[in-house]
Amino acid sequence: METIKHFINTVCRPQIIFPVILAVFFFIFPPTERLLAANKKLGLYKLWTQKGGIALFCGLILAFVFGLTDPNFTKIVTKPDNVPIVGLIFLIVFFVWFSMKQAWENDARIAQGGKPKEADDAKEKILVWPDLVYIEFIALILCTVLLILWSILLKAPLEEPANPTVSPNPSKAPWYFLGLQEMLVYFDPWIAGVLFPTVIIIGMMAIPYLDTNKKGGGYYSFAQRKTAVSIFMFYWLVLWLFLITVGTFLRGPNWNFFGPFEPWDIHKLEALTNINLSDLVYMTWLKQRLPQNIFLREIGGFLVLLFYFGALPLVLAKTWFKELYARLGPVRYSIFIVLLLLSVSLPIKMFLRWVFNIKYIIAIPEFFFNI
Amino acid sequence: MTQEKKSDTSSGKPSAVVSPVEQHSLDRRSFIKWLAIGWTAFAAVVAGYGSLLLRYLFPNVLFEPKQSFRAGNPDEYEVGKVSERFKDQYGTWIVRDLEKIYALSTFCTHLGCTPNWLESEAKFKCPCHGSGFYKTGINFEGPAPRPLERFKIILDDEGQIVVDKTKKFQQEKGEWNDPESYITV
Amino acid sequence: MGDHSNGNNKGILNKISETQVWKAIFRTGIPRNRRQRMMVMLNNVFLHLHPVRLPKHAVKVKYTWCMGGLSFFVFLVLTVTGILLMFYYRPTVEYAYGDIIDLKEQVPLGIMREIHRWSAHLMVITVWLHMFRVFMTGSYKPPREFNWAIGVVLLVLTMLMSFTGYLLPWDQLAIWAITVGSNMAGATPMVGTSGPGSSLLALGDVNFITSSSDARFAMIGGRFIGEAALLRFYVLHCIGLPFIIMIFMIVHFWRVRKDGGISGPT
Repeated sequence: METIKHFINTVCRPQIIFPVILAVFFFIFPPTERLLAANKKLGLYKLWTQKGGIALFCGLILAFVFGLTDPNFTKIVTKPDNVPIVGLIFLIVFFVWFSMKQAWENDARIAQGGKPKEADDAKEKILVWPDLVYIEFIALILCTVLLILWSILLKAPLEEPANPTVSPNPSKAPWYFLGLQEMLVYFDPWIAGVLFPTVIIIGMMAIPYLDTNKKGGGYYSFAQRKTAVSIFMFYWLVLWLFLITVGTFLRGPNWNFFGPFEPWDIHKLEALTNINLSDLVYMTWLKQRLPQNIFLREIGGFLVLLFYFGALPLVLAKTWFKELYARLGPVRYSIFIVLLLLSVSLPIKMFLRWVFNIKYIIAIPEFFFNI
Repeated sequence: MTQEKKSDTSSGKPSAVVSPVEQHSLDRRSFIKWLAIGWTAFAAVVAGYGSLLLRYLFPNVLFEPKQSFRAGNPDEYEVGKVSERFKDQYGTWIVRDLEKIYALSTFCTHLGCTPNWLESEAKFKCPCHGSGFYKTGINFEGPAPRPLERFKIILDDEGQIVVDKTKKFQQEKGEWNDPESYITV
Repeated sequence: MGDHSNGNNKGILNKISETQVWKAIFRTGIPRNRRQRMMVMLNNVFLHLHPVRLPKHAVKVKYTWCMGGLSFFVFLVLTVTGILLMFYYRPTVEYAYGDIIDLKEQVPLGIMREIHRWSAHLMVITVWLHMFRVFMTGSYKPPREFNWAIGVVLLVLTMLMSFTGYLLPWDQLAIWAITVGSNMAGATPMVGTSGPGSSLLALGDVNFITSSSDARFAMIGGRFIGEAALLRFYVLHCIGLPFIIMIFMIVHFWRVRKDGGISGPT
């Protein structure tokens, strides 16, 4: 038992679990034909069948049952404000499975020259009264019952009265903001708190204009729009829900990382001494002091940034994203690539922090300009 | 408007001396002029009201806690210790090292939480996002972008320490050498 | 209401439905035949949100997951419970915390706050899942691009409603959330004191962006978190944001109909 827990604690260190998730993710939700072929070869699509669903759910329930034998895990899970996120984890697993199952079934029908299931259903027209109105009525009643039961069983939490001089330790936002809170660890507030949320909103609004694929509207499908689904799932599952889960389950006192079964020790010591890219360039590699001139000091960071946002889009347009560029055209491609590079900078920076303790690529605290 | 359109099509080709055309084009010019004036005036009024509305969000009178306080005699502070006496009431740590006494703000430079002083690890550690600061206030771990700020600290005529929170000294701007940012003891 | 199996049975329901009062309120009789069922949808302003007829896939829970409708319903629950909570809650630093305790211990039916709180969590979940469903069915594709954008705005507003809401009990969660949130505003480029570029907005030695003239100051109505901040967030939570969210919701529902009803295979 203890060895299993210890193993899970070790695996849940971000520098281990994150690469594992990344590696597995693109086989489960393949964005390209080649990965799709690999997915089929490995039989991963079987997840999206009845049996796969049962296995998925049994696994999830088992994991939670096992977790509940541990007092520390139980404490996190049963905190009233965390109950919705636990519920959401189950709902997400269910709905990902549910939508992917329908998508793969429709894919099979289309591959055989047929039409998606929804097209068969749509041939028949029905009256909204009573068929839809009754479904809605039942849904409302069930929802009300759920809310009342939930409210009777769980008291709404209320913490200590506000005290401006004592921050709770750890000081966590409600679960739906923990993804943002996690970003704040890796980027300065003007990026994580202002720029990124703006980019997320703009990026989401831009989806219909960037996804020029005319197929796959109005029915579940995967094969016809695998790139779009894969990218969306990456943001939705990995960069949003996974970060929320990390914030809920793996962050403890002093915002240190803790395994799910590791007791929250306030005095856990973790050497997190940060260095900036400029320190690395001048002090470690060139063995000299930092230059006085700010621009000269940060030249390495500026070059990296110039390459990342200036040269990389062009290089990608000629190589990996050649087809994509041809399909989207220059304007759409530029918007897409900027959004993509901005968002990918988050996992990149997370890695740099975990593995090399890099804090800033460009550090100009004199003007609050740190990247 | 429709007439304007018509004249537009009729005057499409440049003609030599036909006066009506000239008159028409003059009309159009003045029309555009008035249109521009009208829209500029409209935009100016909207911008004016907009900025007044924005100004409305900034109150003129503030009710703020007291910004300066007396902190006793320098002898009351042990060398090498961080005093938390004025943390709760005034958000200030008073630190004494071998040569001087300085007043550190308890406001984390990341997002304003209050860090905890961990005596055994000799650091300030912020519970919100994990920033860490040395006893001097210099940031060394976590996301805080710059060191903690120091407040103005002086000795009054009776030899008492007075901390004035309205004046701040930031290390990254080289202000910690300012004689008002510490007391020599 | 559900009595559409047996038209000849002149029960009490039928008698009621033939009275003048009933007929004055509901223009259509009990919807038994096809025509009446269509008329009932057209004659009722609330039901008129829906079309009269739909392709069958559109009413299947399998397709819609009911999440959009539930989000709207939960919003209504939140509105009603929110109004009721306002009877007992005073948005001042002195009273707020005590009033929240009283809501639990002194006020009859002590679960009003619970329903409000858990509904808020539920609404975040249903809105997210609704977005997920719309993506997975490709329903954002033309001609529904604009409505997807409206939906994104509604999602953001939902989160902002939650944010302004959990500040009101004025407990530790509240004050530290508002501290962090307002300092993010203070880090906005150009218009926040601790944001990049704020020092560029200066004439000589006079700095225009200071801690008493920046975005953070406008948000919390002062330099320190206190009375003004609580009042501002209270007003935003109870009036400001619901007002905005309602406008966007109207456009959202209207556009669902105008963009050709719920999406489906073409």
